[in-house]
Amino acid sequence: MSRRYDESDGTREFPPGVADPPAWVSRRDFLTLLGAGAALAAGACMRRPDKPILPYVQAPADVVPGMPLYYATAMPLDGYATGVLVRSDTGRPTKVEGNPDHPASLGASGALEQASLLELYDPHRTGAMRAGRRRTTWGAFKAGFAPPALSRRVGARGAGLRVLMPPTTSPLTASLLERLRETYPEARTYFYAPLESPARIEASRKALGTALVPQYDFRAADVVVALDADVLAAGPFNLRYAREWADRRRTEPSAQLHVVEPTPTPTGTLAARRLGATWSAIGPIAAALMDTLGHDARPTGHVAGASTASLAALTPEARAWVSAVAADLAAHAGHSIIVCGERQPAEVHVLTSAMNDALGNVGATVWYTPPAVLDDGGPAHDLAALAAELRSGAVDTLVILEGNPCYAAPADLELSRTVGAVHNTVYLGAYDDETARVSAWHLPAAHYLESWGDARAYDGTTSLIQPIIAPLHDGRTTDEVLAVLAGRPNDSAHDLLRDAWNRQRGPGARMDGESDWNDALRRGVVSGSASARSTPAIRADAVAQATAALAARGATRGQIEIGFVPGRAVHDGRFADNGWLQELPDPVTKLTWDNAALIAPAMAARLGVATNDVVTLRVGDRALDVPALVVPGHADGAVALAMGYGRQGAEAVARGVGVSANALRTSSAPHMASTVAVLPTGRRHELALAQTHWAIEGRGSSIVGEGVEGQRSAASSVPPRKRRPLTLYEPNPPSPDGFGADQWAMVIDLDVCTGCSACVVACQAENNIPVVGKDGVMKSREMHWLRIDRYIDGPPDDPRFETQPMLCQHCEKAPCEYVCPVNATVHSEDGLNEMVYNRCVGTRFCSNNCPYKVRRFNWFDYNAEIAETERMAKNPEVTIRARGVMEKCTFCVQRIRDAQMASRLAGDAVTRPVVTACQQSCPTHAIVFGSLTDAESEVSRQFGDPRSFSALEELGTVPRVRYLARRHDGDGTDGAGGRAR
Amino acid sequence: MHITCEVAALFSPRATTIARGVIIGGLTLLVFIPAVAMGWVRTPWARGEHHAVAQPVAFDHRVHVTGLRIDCRYCHADAERTASAGLPSTNKCVACHSRTWMSAAPMAPVRQSLETGRPIAWARVTQLPDFVYFDHAIHVGRGVGCETCHGRVDRMATAEQVVPLTMGWCLDCHRNPGPRLRPLTEITTMGYRRPTADTSGARLVAQGDHIRRLTDCTTCHR
Repeated sequence: MSRRYDESDGTREFPPGVADPPAWVSRRDFLTLLGAGAALAAGACMRRPDKPILPYVQAPADVVPGMPLYYATAMPLDGYATGVLVRSDTGRPTKVEGNPDHPASLGASGALEQASLLELYDPHRTGAMRAGRRRTTWGAFKAGFAPPALSRRVGARGAGLRVLMPPTTSPLTASLLERLRETYPEARTYFYAPLESPARIEASRKALGTALVPQYDFRAADVVVALDADVLAAGPFNLRYAREWADRRRTEPSAQLHVVEPTPTPTGTLAARRLGATWSAIGPIAAALMDTLGHDARPTGHVAGASTASLAALTPEARAWVSAVAADLAAHAGHSIIVCGERQPAEVHVLTSAMNDALGNVGATVWYTPPAVLDDGGPAHDLAALAAELRSGAVDTLVILEGNPCYAAPADLELSRTVGAVHNTVYLGAYDDETARVSAWHLPAAHYLESWGDARAYDGTTSLIQPIIAPLHDGRTTDEVLAVLAGRPNDSAHDLLRDAWNRQRGPGARMDGESDWNDALRRGVVSGSASARSTPAIRADAVAQATAALAARGATRGQIEIGFVPGRAVHDGRFADNGWLQELPDPVTKLTWDNAALIAPAMAARLGVATNDVVTLRVGDRALDVPALVVPGHADGAVALAMGYGRQGAEAVARGVGVSANALRTSSAPHMASTVAVLPTGRRHELALAQTHWAIEGRGSSIVGEGVEGQRSAASSVPPRKRRPLTLYEPNPPSPDGFGADQWAMVIDLDVCTGCSACVVACQAENNIPVVGKDGVMKSREMHWLRIDRYIDGPPDDPRFETQPMLCQHCEKAPCEYVCPVNATVHSEDGLNEMVYNRCVGTRFCSNNCPYKVRRFNWFDYNAEIAETERMAKNPEVTIRARGVMEKCTFCVQRIRDAQMASRLAGDAVTRPVVTACQQSCPTHAIVFGSLTDAESEVSRQFGDPRSFSALEELGTVPRVRYLARRHDGDGTDGAGGRAR
Repeated sequence: MHITCEVAALFSPRATTIARGVIIGGLTLLVFIPAVAMGWVRTPWARGEHHAVAQPVAFDHRVHVTGLRIDCRYCHADAERTASAGLPSTNKCVACHSRTWMSAAPMAPVRQSLETGRPIAWARVTQLPDFVYFDHAIHVGRGVGCETCHGRVDRMATAEQVVPLTMGWCLDCHRNPGPRLRPLTEITTMGYRRPTADTSGARLVAQGDHIRRLTDCTTCHR
């Protein structure tokens, strides 16, 4: 077990550079500065500055300073809404949490939702409206672009008007586009997002007769097969699917997940059987799987002959995977789900639908609904058509409503040049980015936390979007701009939304509408708005066609493929200016502040490249220099390159981080290209990889709990360990009232932790954790209180992944406490390892003595340099740490003390439940927190679980954080035979 | 043969005395200066006690508390609900004063605030460091009277700090709150005298015992 697959090559104790003295100051200079500093400190003593108290002039109802309010709203991403609850401290949004009533959230929130808060306060957002190089006003825009004036340019029927926006599900936007069509029948609207693919809808048109998208119920699934689908950690419903899968896995431990994927994803790391295969190999594997299953897998679970031609064409590993997975699927017909990745070709989607149908899953675990996205898969989603129109010169006015298409478009469209040549381009965008640069007009876009609007979830459920704060930069919404074009220039977004709401409910329901409206705002969802389910029969001819098409195409053996995958943190580039996300290590590669060409160890050896070596990727006549990153478990013959990097706009954080994958993308091959040449350049580019700095001295199994008795690991050779080892540390002093007080503890279930890292960003937002930048990460100075450790075991081409959230373990016998010379870290009565910033003098002894390496030191005054708006994102309940103090996880002590005070004031006998920030965000409920004194609590129950263990138990630190060991599947429970370990 | 070697006197006869003086004086100063400084910070003056803080409005607590018998919580309305006791909004001042004293000279800042919509900038009297998370609600709700920390506000023309507000002072009470607590009905009473046989404080303490100890660092620092 190791952190790096090539750990044997360098068991260095420290990353290079951390032990070097700073180059800019000599010993003499240091002493001089020390003396001067002491003199200044002595001379600067004075009464602390007076800070006035500013009460309200007119106190708003409901607002009590110090008592935060929560508002329900929804964050749209690629059009789909995820419901969130936003904490507002006297009018400042300070934290985003999941909305339990929303189908896409179920109370969880992902890393992107959490980090959207920082996006709101981003100091690099566009501050002013601009026409050409001059500042302008909203009034001037309305005068120039409302119908009478607009008609003079684009014609009375709007022939010269084009609108380009990201895909949308908003009923309000749809109604405004309808109105625009009435005003200008010849104007046309296009939708573009770099990550969307028409394949899914194309497949359903062929196989099911109409445009439908699949929906899944993971709570009823015993076997899930994901074909190039990161279903538990990406996509519009990933939080829901992860929650449901974890619930199923908890109640039914034999539930299995099988994954075939080109590049390791969080879903893949959880798989019982994981196969690495290139993008184009997924189709043949799906065909072989279907052949093996036979078309009559229902209801007996009969498996057809396993020696079909399609199976024979596969590699031995793929054959073994297909046989085992087919047997598992057949044994659970009607209780299984096959999911196909969105960007796979339509044929694979057809086969997936056919297999779900054949297994009898449709109607049980799988059903279909009409797509929520407007004109999903339709002609309006063809960016190339718009580019052709622009080139033809027929377009006078192009209105781009967010999405930064000039960056995100495939390179062959040369959209920047084409858009720049359009007579009049209006760009509504949050940043002065690539698109803003070539646009004549630039209007600041309102953030979703500043906007009125609506959006639908993946299943069609409508949510209202309400502002939590007034626009910081006079931003406008897509709907407001559309309203101007459609001839309603004076309506605010709120008026438009209210109007659409009232119209939808008819004239008689006015009074009722008011309470409905308030209810929808309060709950964050419009009741009963989910799309109707359908379970259409599959067309046999479409399946035959798809099989034939796949067989004709075949796998591209021997050629290297490149896949353009979503940047896990920056998505398609939308979040590129977000420091929290740029510094969030990728769950699998641990890469921060960069993208890289991910390649398999075998391929790296063949090419003679290693991690950090820059390679040239050549697709056709386009070339791109990218640092390589060797990833165990990656499919051989495949290169994965994350999108969303290499931004060239004016955003200071995003600019120059990584390289732009769009330079290699073409409109005919936007997601995957075969025949890429990978050429070493001999240059190097140091990547900032978190966690991989230190060797773990062979302690891996003790860290992730291998061999814990509750783990069904028959093949494991590690003997079960003793629970409480002998210790030299003195026992805790007996507390006066025994276990009378709360005793806080946490349990983390590694069996359902996907490593999605939502908790990391949630912790960062809740606890005011700073960002240190790429240099800082390279010196392992990242400040995350909670990190996700990833360990690799087994052969590099087919490794086993272990994912482990690591945070302060709140040891009962904490090694850090014994070595602090100033008592700045001490134990509280209720079992917390307390860190007292105002006592800390920064010796860092505690960090040296911490076996878990969870203590973080403020090497610089990270919070001194942040922008005024970023200060607004800080949680007022947590101290902002200054330079020179140590910090670490507090178990969200501010939430504990709050709950204790509330309980005490209300006269409750026990403390109200405390939910930590990481626990709140977790999609899989992998984190459980509570008091051990309550024997009925979930945390007490899980503390005694046979799978529970403490990390590095042999050190005798007795942590208050325990882990539940991951169950390794297929160890002789279902007769399918497991992987040899 | 006699050789006379004459060397000019390098040191005057007083040199030794001066050297001794400098050494002794230096050492004394080395002890004396820190001693004075450490003494100074322990005085009420260094802590800002008993120092009338100038306010933008000449608000007189004596008139409002003693004269008009207005409860503390009428103006400091959040004291029972949340961490900060709160100051009244301009509108709240005007609600009473619209009928009386509104045109008087001392009310000028209030009128101005009402007209411009800009808040009155009150000077802080009781100031705690940023790393201290004091919560009014739990203190008021568990029997700590206003007077215990803010003194006889009913006798103050201009509000001033009357207690040290040092960590030691806080801990004096946190270590043994019982004797300093009063019945919840007497929270805002000024000049409350504890009956000798009163055990209500001890009872309040006992009720909270199962929740937690008050001397954990994270009780106040987080």
